[in-house]
Amino acid sequence: MHVLIINGSPRVKKFSNTDKILAKFTAGLSSKGNTFEQYEVSDRKQWDTIREAWDRNDNILIAIPLYVENIPGLLLEFLATVKPKDGTAKIACILQGGFAEGAQLRCGEEYLGILSRHLGCEYKGTLVKGDNFSIRFFEGDMQDKVTGPYQRMGEVYGEEGSFYGEECRKFTGPEVFPAHIRVLLGIIFKTVGRIMFNKIAKSWGCDKPLNYKPYGT
Amino acid sequence: MVLIVNTTLDTGITHVLQDLISDKGIEADIVEAGGMKISHCIGCNYCWLKTPGVCSIKDDYEEILKKIIKADQLWVISDTALGFIDHKGKNIFDRILPIATMYLKFMGDQMRHVPRYGKRTDIGLIVTGDADMDYLKKWTVRCALNFESESLGAYGADEIKEAAACMC
Repeated sequence: MHVLIINGSPRVKKFSNTDKILAKFTAGLSSKGNTFEQYEVSDRKQWDTIREAWDRNDNILIAIPLYVENIPGLLLEFLATVKPKDGTAKIACILQGGFAEGAQLRCGEEYLGILSRHLGCEYKGTLVKGDNFSIRFFEGDMQDKVTGPYQRMGEVYGEEGSFYGEECRKFTGPEVFPAHIRVLLGIIFKTVGRIMFNKIAKSWGCDKPLNYKPYGT
Repeated sequence: MVLIVNTTLDTGITHVLQDLISDKGIEADIVEAGGMKISHCIGCNYCWLKTPGVCSIKDDYEEILKKIIKADQLWVISDTALGFIDHKGKNIFDRILPIATMYLKFMGDQMRHVPRYGKRTDIGLIVTGDADMDYLKKWTVRCALNFESESLGAYGADEIKEAAACMC
């Protein structure tokens, strides 16, 4: 099949975690004899081209970073401008986020079924996974470790045309962490996690504490 | 303080709300944001890691953000699109990231960002078009987690009296 892939991230392509996920996913998709064309919603200059591609494609995949429990405002703005399909086209989604638990993404996932109906498309499911915040801070093997598993998911989607299979469901990982893991992570967040974030901030030129209150208390 | 941010161009709805709540002696800060310049969030993470608490986008949103961190209630009035609030309404929520810090913690059984400020602002939604109201109610509950607060509900324009009854 030929797939129209829309990267729904508002972050520019160079820094887009979703784009790095798609790089692996499309490698898997292509390995199964499929073709694709990919566009970025973050680049408004592409919007006319994406709308034209929307009109002539019936297999659509939208890759989305979770923004406040739903799709980003910019993607919502774009999708409100496309012509709804007549029911024969199919939409599948990749929904990714920073928080690690699957439960964090379920509210957003629920909307994607509603969205598909409003866009006149048959809904082919969503590949749900969190714990992707670090992608932009990693390079090479470290980044591949996080994004690499999406290659297999590209193969599965390329073969099945949906994310309804068991392998995709399991890809999400834990819905929530067990209590003892939460205790451990809580300690890491307060110690090593803060040191790591402070270090990244310093490398970005930050000269304030990360809990700084610019507008008073 | 009740903060009402109207992202639609219909100022009639805020006049009706103003009348309904002033009868109860409640003062609201009403922001007519329909014509304001408010960008979408670009996901740069500067408000967490480069200029903590300050958005890199310089537009009309900063004044709204300053009000939100002092408000007991934030009500967003939004038009709808694709069964949900439209992008102008959603942008008000997406741009809220500076009220959180980069630091993480657990709230109940899920991760959250450590809040930057002490105020806990409850969230309410009023929509002026067709939307999946059951979903919007669920979304508002989920959305309030980001403020460590409570949802005040999601209401259609025909339920404006019910919404006003929740303003205090």
